[in-house]
Amino acid sequence: MGRIFDVAAAQDIPLGTHKIVTVKGRTIGIFNIKGSYHALPNICPHQIGPLCEGKVSGTLYRDKKTWELHWTEEGEIVTCPWHGLEFRVQTGECLAYKQVKLRTYNVTQIDGRLLLEI
Amino acid sequence: MIKKGQYEDFFIVDADVHINETPEDLIPYCDLPWRKALEAIVNVPRRYLNIPGFAPQFSGNRPFWPGGFDKKTVNTPDQLREELTELGIDIAIIFPDNLLLIATFPQREYAAALARAYNAYLVDQWADKREGLKGLLLAAPQDPVDAAREINKYKDEEGIVGVYLPCGGLHTLWGHEMYNPIFEAAEAAGLPVIFHSVLTLNTAFPFNGLEQFETEFARHALAHSMSLMFNMLRLIETGVPVRYPNLKMCFIEGGISWVPYMSMRLDKEYMERRRYVQHLEKPPSHYIKNFYYGTQPIEEPENPGDLAKVIELYEGENTTMFASDWPHHDFDHPRAILNSGLSKEVKRKILGENALAFFDIDRQGKRMRSHDKKGILS
Ligand code: FES
Repeated sequence: MGRIFDVAAAQDIPLGTHKIVTVKGRTIGIFNIKGSYHALPNICPHQIGPLCEGKVSGTLYRDKKTWELHWTEEGEIVTCPWHGLEFRVQTGECLAYKQVKLRTYNVTQIDGRLLLEI
Repeated sequence: MIKKGQYEDFFIVDADVHINETPEDLIPYCDLPWRKALEAIVNVPRRYLNIPGFAPQFSGNRPFWPGGFDKKTVNTPDQLREELTELGIDIAIIFPDNLLLIATFPQREYAAALARAYNAYLVDQWADKREGLKGLLLAAPQDPVDAAREINKYKDEEGIVGVYLPCGGLHTLWGHEMYNPIFEAAEAAGLPVIFHSVLTLNTAFPFNGLEQFETEFARHALAHSMSLMFNMLRLIETGVPVRYPNLKMCFIEGGISWVPYMSMRLDKEYMERRRYVQHLEKPPSHYIKNFYYGTQPIEEPENPGDLAKVIELYEGENTTMFASDWPHHDFDHPRAILNSGLSKEVKRKILGENALAFFDIDRQGKRMRSHDKKGILS
């Protein structure tokens, strides 16, 4: 169990938004995805770009059987603002390089405050 | 018997030799009315790989100098067998000469008729007619449905070991969905496909841009590899290796040093733009490393060890195949591999073993038909 830090008021990060916080010298992105909170390091594994400052959106997916193109995971994919690597916020997975996975942090909401465990 | 001389130790498969099919050769195999078109050009004066109505070179606007290298042709299976033996080659894979330019014909039905005639002629006169002579079906890109029918017609022929997909002067790059019937048929038949280019100055991209250059030096330098690069890019962009995972593909006649370049460039682009090629399950280099490559015209770096480095960069030890391009002016002798800085084991693979695996044949040239045995898709 890591240390717990009170990082923000829940109302400061409404549904579908995210915010960068600094805890013990680390910058971390806190995301509100469909009402639950997730956190990722604000450092892209590529060239250490400020990953969590990127846009949160969806992505394109092609069904291999029908070969149809779909828009999926709306509101769940963060794209690094520097060169565009995409990450699945809830899991930290990199979409381009499946072996790359960001660490994730637990965020809990107590009495309207967001508590980050690092 | 095959004379091995100094190459005693090596079993050599040559992934690219050319026979000189002429209009007269194809006349008996060509359907009407197209046979009439061939008969009409029999007496037309010819140049090397430059026959009106049969091998449209689009190069009549440059000076023709005397001298220079020989323009040789292979006209009979006996001649080919003899020359291959002289070169120390055990098995050779046959491509056409004049119909290297088939993709430049604007008329779909004519191109398809020529491909049908060539395939019938190849099977009847060349493939397996002498020891170690194997053939590739010619697919006319203008008529993919007919090309798929040709694959189905000849897929069980013992002398046929793959499908040649022309890239020289090709108007619509391989990978466009109009070509799906060809890829489907080849995959289902367990036959590999080989992309082979040629220099021409027609209006198809990227050949149209060759007008920028004044000399054959410049036009010939990059035409083949650029054409292969653009076709490879299109194949990856449209997911051909994902859609046809059991289809083996080879790129030939562009040398090999462009392969690491493409591998690294496409991976770099993929990082930024993965979502435009969402069908790729892995970065592009993964697919590039699974394609096969013919060596000719092989790079001859000052430091022979550099060749081994190039091959290492695309992990090509098991996917690189010796190709001579005999009897064309820029052909490579097997010595180019033997004298390179490659290890003996890698030389053995490149000179023969990789091609045996790719074409799925044994040392007698007998088709292994591993695909049928595995029952994939059949
Ligand atoms: S730093 Fe994030 S994609 Fe390059």
